Amino acid sequence: MLSCKQVAQVASDYLEQNTPGKLNWQIRLHLLMCANCRRFMRHLRITTQVANQIAATQEPHPDPQVLLAQIKQRAKTKP
Amino acid sequence: MLATEFLSPSAAPSAAPLSEAALVERLIAGDDAAFALLISQYHSLLVTVARAIIGEAFADDVVQDSWLAIYQHIANFEGRASLKTWMIKIVSNQAKTRLRREARQVSLEQLDGDSPGSFLEQGNPYLSDHRFKPNGHWQGNIPHWHQEAPEALLEERQLKTCIQKTLAQLPPKQKAAFILRDIEQLGFDEICQHLDISAANVRVLVHRARLALMHVIDRYQETGQC
Repeated sequence: MLSCKQVAQVASDYLEQNTPGKLNWQIRLHLLMCANCRRFMRHLRITTQVANQIAATQEPHPDPQVLLAQIKQRAKTKP
Repeated sequence: MLATEFLSPSAAPSAAPLSEAALVERLIAGDDAAFALLISQYHSLLVTVARAIIGEAFADDVVQDSWLAIYQHIANFEGRASLKTWMIKIVSNQAKTRLRREARQVSLEQLDGDSPGSFLEQGNPYLSDHRFKPNGHWQGNIPHWHQEAPEALLEERQLKTCIQKTLAQLPPKQKAAFILRDIEQLGFDEICQHLDISAANVRVLVHRARLALMHVIDRYQETGQC
């Protein structure tokens, strides 16, 4: 039987349906019996759903118009 | 298709959004407003990818060179992949080329955080040894979340800030793998090629990033703060 640590380590693969057949069944069996791991898996799924909705942190970027002007200037000198 | 991402720069708000084909047509025609919108939409993503490959010191230079290449070669875009994929490929190639030149000056160890593939997940708050008993079962209970509905969590501005702050602080490769997978929805094989790492490593990096964000939500649920 898998340990909680082993389940936690492959949890993302499990959620992505990327665990091979035998391992998949072992994880499901463990989840049937372990409330902590069920909660862990649920929280990981929720985290992924929440993060999907949040735009990547916007790095401070230069004014697009300014950057475009620089690009066009460089394009003239570097054909 | 950029139907939901892009509005024609000169169109009224009620006008239909541009398709990717229409956008590319405008870019090839030299529409400055279209190119400026492209920059504002994708600059952050290109910086993230560049940093993951070459690190902080040279990333801005690489991205500037990439925008030049995109500007000069947009007419060569054949539409076999999406425009986003094409641009990411340009920046990843530019970063790898620069990495070969500057290898001595780039500290690659810091890009990963921990070495990916480490079975014991040293340093990850959720999988460190003290969380588990010697037999591998959880030492204590996984904390309850009083709020589990994603829609409700997303309405909590403070939490959103916490997550964005944590995301910004992830090691560059971890952040890039997470963004490319969970936000940009790229396939693992594609991410491998862009970041020049194995599929197994991509999966580990994405998993670590998710766990780091889950830890943030744990803390927020418990304390109301980051």
